[in-house]
Amino acid sequence: MKKALSTMLALTMAISMFTACGGGGTTSTGTSSSGSTNTSTAAEGDYAGQTLKVAAIETAYGSEMWQKVCDAFEAKTGATVELTTDKNLEDVIDPQMKAGNFYDVIHLATGREKALPETMLKENAIADISDVMDMKVLGEDVTVGEKIISGFTGNLTTNPYNDDKIYMMPMFYGPCGLFYNKANFTEGGGSLTLPTTWDEFFALADQTDIPLFTYPTAGYLDAFIYAMMPEVGGQEFFNKALQYDEATWASEDMGKMFDVLGKLAANTEKSTPSNGNADNFTKNQQLILDNKALFMPNGNWVIGEMADAPRAENFEWGFMALPAMEVNGDRYSYTFFEQCWVPAGSQNQDLAKVFISYLYSDEAAGIFAESGAVQPIAGMTDKLSDDNKVYYSVYDNGAKAAIGTFATTAPVEGMNFKQIFCFTMDSVVNGTKTAEQWWQDVQDACKTMAEAMQ
Amino acid sequence: MQKNKARSRFIVACVAPATILAFIFLVIPTFNVFRMSLFRWGGYSPNQQFVGLDNFITLMKDENFFRSCRNSILLIVLVTAVTLFFSLLFASILTREKLKGQNFFRVIFYIPNILSVVVISAIFSAIYDANNGLLNSILGLFRGDKDPIYWMGDQKLVIYSLAIAMVWQAIGYYMVMYMASMSSIPESLYESANLEGASRITQFFSITLPLIWTNIRTTLTFFIISNINMSFLFVKAMTNGGPDGATEVFLSYMYKQAYTNSTYGYGMAIGVVVFTFSFALAAIVNKVTKRDPLEF
Amino acid sequence: MNTKQKTAGEKSDTLIKAIIYIVLCMLAVAIIIPVAWVFMASVKQNSEFYGNPFTLPQGIHLQNFVDAWTKARMGDYFMTSVMVTAVALAILLLVALPAAYVLSRYKFFGSKLINGGFMAGLFINVNYIVVPIFLMFVSGDRILNNLFGHSFFLNNPFVVSVVLASTTLPFTIYLLSGYLATLPKDYEEAAYVDGAGYFTTMVRIILPMAKPSIITVILFEFLAYWNEYIISMTMLTDPNGARTLPVGLLNLMKAQNAKAEYGQMYAGLVLVMVPTLILYMCVQKKLTQGMTLGGLKG
Repeated sequence: MKKALSTMLALTMAISMFTACGGGGTTSTGTSSSGSTNTSTAAEGDYAGQTLKVAAIETAYGSEMWQKVCDAFEAKTGATVELTTDKNLEDVIDPQMKAGNFYDVIHLATGREKALPETMLKENAIADISDVMDMKVLGEDVTVGEKIISGFTGNLTTNPYNDDKIYMMPMFYGPCGLFYNKANFTEGGGSLTLPTTWDEFFALADQTDIPLFTYPTAGYLDAFIYAMMPEVGGQEFFNKALQYDEATWASEDMGKMFDVLGKLAANTEKSTPSNGNADNFTKNQQLILDNKALFMPNGNWVIGEMADAPRAENFEWGFMALPAMEVNGDRYSYTFFEQCWVPAGSQNQDLAKVFISYLYSDEAAGIFAESGAVQPIAGMTDKLSDDNKVYYSVYDNGAKAAIGTFATTAPVEGMNFKQIFCFTMDSVVNGTKTAEQWWQDVQDACKTMAEAMQ
Repeated sequence: MQKNKARSRFIVACVAPATILAFIFLVIPTFNVFRMSLFRWGGYSPNQQFVGLDNFITLMKDENFFRSCRNSILLIVLVTAVTLFFSLLFASILTREKLKGQNFFRVIFYIPNILSVVVISAIFSAIYDANNGLLNSILGLFRGDKDPIYWMGDQKLVIYSLAIAMVWQAIGYYMVMYMASMSSIPESLYESANLEGASRITQFFSITLPLIWTNIRTTLTFFIISNINMSFLFVKAMTNGGPDGATEVFLSYMYKQAYTNSTYGYGMAIGVVVFTFSFALAAIVNKVTKRDPLEF
Repeated sequence: MNTKQKTAGEKSDTLIKAIIYIVLCMLAVAIIIPVAWVFMASVKQNSEFYGNPFTLPQGIHLQNFVDAWTKARMGDYFMTSVMVTAVALAILLLVALPAAYVLSRYKFFGSKLINGGFMAGLFINVNYIVVPIFLMFVSGDRILNNLFGHSFFLNNPFVVSVVLASTTLPFTIYLLSGYLATLPKDYEEAAYVDGAGYFTTMVRIILPMAKPSIITVILFEFLAYWNEYIISMTMLTDPNGARTLPVGLLNLMKAQNAKAEYGQMYAGLVLVMVPTLILYMCVQKKLTQGMTLGGLKG
């Protein structure tokens, strides 16, 4: 299984235009003092007296695992770790950092509503940590770059300025795709057949009264559309699109994609936009549990999120990659991963890098995995519980992985790209706009963004 | 002379603390809002670039800003008109009519105003829910099994759904204000009107309304100020501007630009426009509604 | 007026009365039901929150309150809120009362300017000045840090109280001035004749007479401070330190990708709501007396 996954990701990488940093030695070695300290396995108490400020978002995995990892790090190095965890981490650390109190290591993903890492990237306020890749994992004899599954670095998420410098280190990952109730389909004893192409998907409308589609909030569609783009045009096409390439966005293939999105909107459960906000999105997720909608794009955290919710009889979570554009076409699943990074204002960047290297150790990864958080380390998926294995096995069943996010640009006044890229779906579902207009809006926005690329 | 000195000392001692606090926490920050609106700055880096009026020029071409203007103005006008009507109606009923449970109604009507917006948003998300909501369940009794109404999902409806919640919250507050001034109108005026056979409605327009006119004018200013503020709090709690930006208002748009789009200066430019707008609107309303005050 | 007309008039009168009662009752129901619903929801178990929100609770699940109070630290937040609100009210009254008294009843050099200034202050919206205030504190803390090695302004509930009191000064002074201006001048003149000083006159004579409007101010600003979250969210950021109740509540509600604790959340909503309801019930009789609004000058 691990082999299949890494092959897929390697393939992704091979055809992607960014090839640097995949564990290779493009960055200079031995420049950082911590790097050299670390080549000899760190003895106990090497960093005694030093303090490291760590901030981590508390998600469905809980905050306990962070406490444990920090305790273990303290025991190993003698350094003191001040850990901050919060469900709304932005509200806590943003004012602190504006006040000049920087954290040393922050675990907080891009793509959230408050867009803190994105803001800091635009402001060049995140440190270049490319040399972590060549550092030995604390307490082990392999480098970080050797441990991370290839493909997880060198994409536009980790290298946001589209060069060979890594700013964001990949952390817990999971495939994003379509969730459904197995009981509705033949695999769970139902009458419907799981669609493998979008044509089959839309044909389901004739076989069932249940609306085909819903989404928690339109913001979740980014991962969904990210996976559709390589389906219509392949990896290179996807990468160009992420850099707002005008010709790519105007191409016929993109038109095909918006056709599918338009059809999807027509088949979306009608109350979805009403509840598609931060307060009510669980109501949309509930639609799947109640058999009031067939499919929903989401990530594995949804299972924990809805753990207490009542559900239809015989309900069982199912998960699949996106259907292909044509028979025997490629099917994709977007690989979502969280990131950790070092603010440029951090006072103790050397120790911060050691800490990050430790996050990839077998010890730390084991602690994370106990809570269900999976690091992109080769071999990790073997250690998963059976429930989780089913979920991560999507890549074994022939799906390809899509990785990356839109490139970082200079700030553009009055522009809300995610609003246009994702939330226009709400307008298409309730009939205010057509998919055609959506496409046009995105093209216009991309033109503006392309101009703001540095 | 001695007395004059004591008087000056007393005046300074009384006014200085308030003035100093207001200067530090209101005047200086407002000045900074105006100053930053001339800069390009994201919020983190030390490089603040002076761009003159560029932010305002961009603003004048920003379609999204105009949409938030339209929504804000619609809410100000609509909520003010409806709230004014109902709160005057209920205030005059509760002061003029001999009713049982008068006090009970007065107490109850004020309750929405003491609730936190967080509570109100929880309440209205339960009322407006398309499938199980209170409103659709009640309407379902009359409309039958038709498609539900998407109070929070239909772009044309959602702003009115917000307006209803805002009116619900505001009626009690203004009602109590009008009751305070209505109860100071001498009863004798109404007694003589009664003898002349004037109806309730005539009495309202010829006695009550002119006599509380100053009060109404004042509350109009409050309406402008508080609707700009409340519409932001309601939007933030209930829709976050959605669906697809249909409920974006002045301050919610300012927030998004200043804090999630790395364009702090641009956000402050919006703040300047909002400040100027509310000030100008209040001045205009104050001028237009000017009447010779009536005394009793 | 003959008897026939009179009975007809009485009949239509009863009809109007009936309509009035129906309308009043409808509005009352539209308020009572949603508020009661929040109380009802606070004793539901987490699993009851999915689906129809208006089903009755299956049992009284008081554990929500225990969890909210201890696990979600609502108990600590509650105390912080009480403190912040009380201190802010104290500062406000201490500063605003003398100012309003002098500004409404004395003419002096600059009185017009200051009056106009406070009137203009009504238009300043906390939502856009909160970050400039925050940035001001940031630089203040930096200087203090360099000089004395510790900061003062941020994460300090007392400072939050000062900011809250300051930002509500214009409205409070406006409200108090409106009331104070209506008091006859004779009282002060009589006091001066008796040889009382300015300060004694204000404290002994005028302030007791201003009690109704002071009570109104206390209620209004109590509600404002108690429910406020924009300022406290920006100024109190240490997750292990002091936080106010609305901020803690928001933290319970808005958490992406994490399981929502609905029971605790609604228990928290009730905790926020109950003190305001109690205070309102206590002072509601006095509320209307103090609301004499003058016109807007300046």
